[in-house]
This record gives sequence, structure tokens and C-alpha cells, in this order.
Amino acid sequence: MLAFILRRLGTMALTMLCLTLVVFFLINLEPNLKKLAISQTEMRTSAEQLESWLQKNGYRQNFFVRYGQWLGVLPKQPIIDPATGEAKPRFAFCNEPSVPTYSGVLQGDFGCSTTYKVPVSKKLFPALRATGILMFWVMVTMVPISLLIGVLAGMREGSRTDRTLSVASITTTATPEYVSGVIFTVIFASWLGWLNGSAASATGQGITFYNFTLPVMTMAIYGIGYIARMTRASMVEVMTQQYIRTARLKGLSFGNVVMKHALRNALIAPFTVIMLQFPWLLTGVVIVETMFRYQGFGYTLVEAAKNNDIDLLLGCSLVSVLIVLSTQLISDVGYAYLNPRIRVQ
Amino acid sequence: MTFYKSNGDRVPDHIRDMAESAKSGEVDRREFLALASVFGATTAMAYGMLGLAAPTEAAAQEPKKGGVIRIWQFVKDQKDPRTYDWPEMANVTRQFLEPLVKYTSKFTFDPALLESWEVNDDATEYTLHLRQGVTWNNGDTFNADDVMFNLTRWCDANAEGNSMATRMGALVDPATKKAKDGAITKVDDYTIKVKFPGPDITFIPGISDYPGIVVHRDFEKNGSNLLTHPIGTGPFELVSYDVGSKAVLKRRENGKWWGGEAYLDGVEFIDYGADPSAGVSAFEAGEVDTNYETSADFVDILDGLGLVKSEVNTAATIVARMNINNKPYDDQKVRNALQMAVDNATILQLGNGGRGTVAENHHVSPIHPEYYELPKKVRDTAGAKKLMDEAGQSDFEFDLITTDEDWHKNTGDAIAAQIREAGLKVKRTVLPGATFWNDWTKYPFSMTTWNMRPLGVQVLTLGYRSGEAWNETAYANPEFDKKLNEATAEPDVEKRKLLMKDIEQILQDSGVLIQSYWRSLYNHSAEYVKNHGMHPTYEIDLYRVWLDKEA
Repeated sequence: MLAFILRRLGTMALTMLCLTLVVFFLINLEPNLKKLAISQTEMRTSAEQLESWLQKNGYRQNFFVRYGQWLGVLPKQPIIDPATGEAKPRFAFCNEPSVPTYSGVLQGDFGCSTTYKVPVSKKLFPALRATGILMFWVMVTMVPISLLIGVLAGMREGSRTDRTLSVASITTTATPEYVSGVIFTVIFASWLGWLNGSAASATGQGITFYNFTLPVMTMAIYGIGYIARMTRASMVEVMTQQYIRTARLKGLSFGNVVMKHALRNALIAPFTVIMLQFPWLLTGVVIVETMFRYQGFGYTLVEAAKNNDIDLLLGCSLVSVLIVLSTQLISDVGYAYLNPRIRVQ
Repeated sequence: MTFYKSNGDRVPDHIRDMAESAKSGEVDRREFLALASVFGATTAMAYGMLGLAAPTEAAAQEPKKGGVIRIWQFVKDQKDPRTYDWPEMANVTRQFLEPLVKYTSKFTFDPALLESWEVNDDATEYTLHLRQGVTWNNGDTFNADDVMFNLTRWCDANAEGNSMATRMGALVDPATKKAKDGAITKVDDYTIKVKFPGPDITFIPGISDYPGIVVHRDFEKNGSNLLTHPIGTGPFELVSYDVGSKAVLKRRENGKWWGGEAYLDGVEFIDYGADPSAGVSAFEAGEVDTNYETSADFVDILDGLGLVKSEVNTAATIVARMNINNKPYDDQKVRNALQMAVDNATILQLGNGGRGTVAENHHVSPIHPEYYELPKKVRDTAGAKKLMDEAGQSDFEFDLITTDEDWHKNTGDAIAAQIREAGLKVKRTVLPGATFWNDWTKYPFSMTTWNMRPLGVQVLTLGYRSGEAWNETAYANPEFDKKLNEATAEPDVEKRKLLMKDIEQILQDSGVLIQSYWRSLYNHSAEYVKNHGMHPTYEIDLYRVWLDKEA
């Protein structure tokens, strides 16, 4: 088991290395570097000046040298002022040293965000926290509601309740967030005026029912349909089992059978699905966060990509890989524990 | 040599003559006001010479002190002010930094950190008198060293992205790309002399532009970072700056502002992103009191929320320009045919909801001082087709590129539709704003927005003179350049007008741009926001703004 986990951790490190290398390559393509230079100088700067900015700030060094610096296996070089010959830090706004130092991801330094003018860690971790809060509330609303719908629909297959709930959950799952979000905003913010159509104040002034309901609702409703469908399928299957029939024949009331015999067995499958929702939530928040302007991980990722903020983008991709691969690892190990028939090699 | 002092009671004779012409209607009033104040008249005097009373600010009520104003505006990434490319960047910092001269919403120039300035007769020599008794909020006294430092760094054309260098014109030595030796001299602690090799009337308007805010003399020593060292002379001071989210300022506490005290306790700029509907939600929710700008499509919506609209006519515009280094736009017939196919009044209706005034394909606006009215052109689709046949390009598929911003896209679509009606082929390419600017000067046929400059010659110099960095049409016409240089140097209005007539005609005939309309700009505020409105160049100054929530 330990060997398995170590091997998986090794794979994870390798995946991270490959993925960041690919991302690093893509964001260092010429048009992207030009975009960065424009955003750091002026929109209408001439080509020569852009080139000189890129030169001066070290973006013209060898690709692998720069990747190595970011990784922390090669020292980061300060800029030498051509006029005075003095060494200056590259980005004064985040305390980069003015002497060559090994300071990369391996040393715990994620670099500098050129858009936000702060160290990447100062932007990335608060954003992750904000997304964590959003995910928490989505989970809190989504899980109980979807389980309830699924159980109600699945306990009497083909009944009117089943048909109604199934249609409803298929509809919500088939409606992407960018459609339902707009519809909810129009109804609840513009017509009724009950809720705030933007969550911009949530990160600045704190979360309230008024500014946070719409993003949570938009995300939760999409997930509810999906999990409810899974729960229903599992419930339907359990309800046809022999032991349920036996329990009924014994004279137990229907409610008792559902609560005591069916429910626990029916919840195994949806549990896996719910676990799989974590990585989805992290990446799925991109649309919802951008739409409601909630400054979490998804929003930061979009802004970083828009401005070609190299270090911030790399930081975001590291976090994504870490979260997706570690949830996978946890579920693999978890399976082995839950089901003795599965062996991990 | 006679010198004319700003805010004085003397002006050169040519300004007096011009006042007569303005009264009789030969000269546009705005031209007169702008030029008269460059040549030293006070706002009251400039209006007085026209026989008018200067418009007074809406001070019918007693201003109230207190409160924090919340403004819906992008909070962009900050950088060195001389490289600013968005007025939003300056709007935050200009609450604690100030310009030497302020361009007012009355189209005149008011001294800010200057107390006054003097110009000689032919506009080759400027004497700047600095305001005394101004202190930085770190305790230092504001003096000529600060201004020398700023003027010199504005002239540094080697600094990447320094757009002030083009505004400094002939002060920059073309060889070294730095300030010319002896062009800027310190006379004493509060006096500076600026000498141009030839006459230049754009100096004062140039330094009043939004990147021209004055930073402390140690700005570069402190790492050229305004956020870590927010040292300023203005009425507010910076509390926090969070890109993409919020910027907070409070009334200046340490040391008095030279202009007295601001009414507001503080200012918050709140970012709601590129989607205007998020901002509408913010108004609905009462999260903001006023906004930076209301785009034309949203004017009715915000009116409907019971907000107060402020409107200003400007010389801000969007042009569909052709780059003559690209085939087939190198052929003047092709360019003229495209111009001929388009009816500018229709584009104004379709592209910007009719909110603005019709333009005439030569980038000089009726509100510009030097505007000369040319005969109106009419749309001629048959003529356009015929001309295109002559050029042999009737089968060519034109490609009009715009950004994805609503009104840019709509204007592009309308122009393309009109060209199609003339029987020509056009396709549209829409690029995201973030990538569009990578190559904006090189596209064969694309649309570019231009903000207003106080004088018409300023934009023509930036955008259409041969070899200029922002010359996106690659237009190079020695005759045009010569006349434009003369106009830039010509203080006499009658002579300048004749030059402008030719300049406008040459540019219009060249066909390098289809310029359909001048935009009117709008913003909205809650009713309790007093003494605040839209400024023609998007500037937000808040020291005289107050909130009256009980009214």
C-alpha cells in the first residue's frame, strides 16, 4: 500500500512537471509575451520599446533557463541597470532580491503577479479560500436537496412524483450555468429585486444572503439534477432487491422500509458521485465566478489568462493539478479500504 | 518681447481679434475659450471677452461635509503615470496627485500646481510659475525640483510606453531621445522656463492630459511605485489599492491641501468587470453612487432607475482606418470607394444608438477650436461600385477588424453592412480586447477608438503625421505634414483656419479613414451626489463634490 501511494505521488510530481512545462511553453509564445509587454507598458507602445522591455526584464533568456528559475533549480537574476550598472530587483513590488538567488516553486516562492503587482501567493491563496467558501455553501445546499429528490423519485419508480422530479432534475442538469445564471439574475435581481445580481461586494464587504445567494443557487441547481438522477437510479435498483420485498412482506410500513433498509444501501453510489464533484466545482466555478464577479480561483484564473500573467497562471495550474490528482488518489485508496475485493498494485 | 500671463487681464492682440470673430460667429466659441486660456486669460475673462458671463458651478445649495462616494469604475493595474493608457488609472491617482494645468469641463485651462504661466507672442517660450505653499503629504515642500524632474522624465522617449514624450513635441531631442539641452531651465525655486525651437501651441493642452500628473521628485528612487509610496499633493490620500476589486482613498490628514479641504470623507472606486449589467445590479442594490461612464446602450436603462444623467459632447470617436501599406488599401480609389459607400448618419444610429454627432472623415470635430466646415458629402453606392470597378478590386473581400466591445462591434457591423449594400464583399473579424491591441497599428482595415484632445491639431499630429508612433494608417504626405506643422505653430486664428481647411480637405480626400460620428459621453449618479458630472476627457475630480442624502 505504501509503495502504491509513493508511486502515485511520484506520478503526480511528474504530471505537474509536464503540465507546467506545457503551460509555460504556451504562455511564452511570442504573441503572449507581446501582450504581457503591452499591458506592462502602454497600449500603444511601439514594437522596439516592447522588445526592449522584454529584454530588460529577462523574458528573452533561454526558455529552459527561465523555466528552471521558476522551478528553483537555477538562480533568478536581477536586472542590471544599463545606466548605473547597479543591480535592481526585477519586480520591486514583491521584494524580489537584487542578488542572484535560488527562489522558485521548490523553495516555496511562486513568483510575482504582474497584473496584481503582488507575490502570487498573496493572490492565489485568498482566491482559493474564497472559492472554498463558495464550494462549501454549494455543497451544503446541493447534497441534502439532491439526495431528498433522488430518494423521493426512486422509491416508487414510474409514479407521478418520480416523473415530475425526474423531468425537473433533467431540466436543471441540461441547463448550463451561463444560461441559468442569466435567467436567475433577470428574475431575482432585475424583476423582483430580492437578490443582488453581482457578488462583487461578497469578497470586499463580506458575504450576505443578499449578495451570495445567486452564485450558490446557480451552481447548486446544476449539480442537484445530476446527483438526484444518480441517487434515483441507485434507489430504484435497491427497491427491487429481494430483502426489500422480504421486509415489506414481514409487514413493515413503506416509510420504515425506505428509511431503515433502502436508504443506506442506496447512498453508496451517490457518495462516489459527490466526491467527484470536488474537482468539478473547482474548475466549474470559472463561469459562475466570472459571471457574478466573485473573486475566487476561477475568476483569478481568467484574469491571469487575460493579462498573460505568467507566474500567476503557472500557480493556478499547479493548484488545479494538485487538487484533481489528490482527489483521485484519495478515492483510489478509499475504494481499496471500502471494498476488499479491490487490490491496489 | 511681451509675455502674457495666465489668469491675467492681458492677452495678445490676436486673441482680442479672435474674440471679435467669436462674437460675430466666424470663430467657434470653444476654440476661442481654449486658445484664450492657453494664452493667459482667466475663465471669467475669456467668457467676458465674448460678452458672456462665465458659467458658475451649481452652488445653489450649501455644500455638506462628510460621506464616502462610491464610484463604479475599473480598478486597473497601476503603473508609472507617464505610461497610463486608460483614464481610469489616472482617476484614482489624481485624487492624491495633481496636474500642472487642469482641462476643465468648460473647455478652458485652469492652473492647478502652476499658479500661472506666461506665453510669448509666438508661443515659443513658456514661463511656468509654480504655486507656492503646496506640500507633499510626506512633509516635503513642492518646488521647481519636482517639476523639473517631471518635465525631464516626460521628455524621455527611451522609456518604454512613455506617451508624454509625444506630447512634449520639439522639447525632445530626436538624436538622444531625451529633453533637449537648455530647453527646460530652472530660473528659481518657483519658476521654470520652457523654450521650444519653433512655436508650439499644444504644450499647455499636452501637460493637462491625464498621464501628465506630477509625481514627487524621489518617485524613481522609491521604485517608481505609487502604491507603496503614495506621496501626493492632492486633497485625498491613498488607503488601499486592490487591482480588479477596489481602491480606497480618504481625505488628506497629514498636512493641509493648498485648495482647502475636500467635502467628502473618502472615495471608493469599485470594479464590476467588463459586463455593464453587473454595474446595473450594483446601482439597483445601492452599492454605488455614481459611475465612470455609461455606455450608449445603457443610458436608457440607468435613466429608468431614477438616476441623474450627465451628458457631454466630445471629440471622442471611433475610426475605421485603412493602412496604406497593405494591398488593396494602397490605392486611393479603393479607399474613397469605401468611404463613399457609407452614410455616416446611419452608422451613428446603428452603431451608437444615435448618441453623438455626425463626423466627416477628417478627424477634426466641430467642438475643436480649429474646426473648418467643409462641404457635406453624401452617400453614393453606385459611385462607390463604379470607383471600385475602376480600381479593379470589386471582387476583393475586405476584412474589417474590431474588438468585441459592444459599440465597437456594432459600428463595425453597420459599416460592413453599408459596404455590402454597395455590392462589395466584406467580412468581419472580431477580436477580444486583450489581443486586439497587440497589432493595432498594423491591421489592414480596422476600427480604433480615439479619446478627445482639446485641440484638433493634437490628434492629427499623433495619428496622421508621417512616421509617428501612433500613425496607424501609415499615411505619409509631405504636404499634409508641412501644413500641419504650420498650423501647430500658427497662433493667428484666421491664418490657421485657412490651413485647417486644407488639412481637413487633404485628409478627407486621402480616404484613409471612415469616421462616422463623435460620441457623446454620459455618466449617471444618484440624486444626492452634488456638483459631479461627466468630463469630456473622462477625468474625475472630487474635491468639490458633496453628498446630500437628506435632500
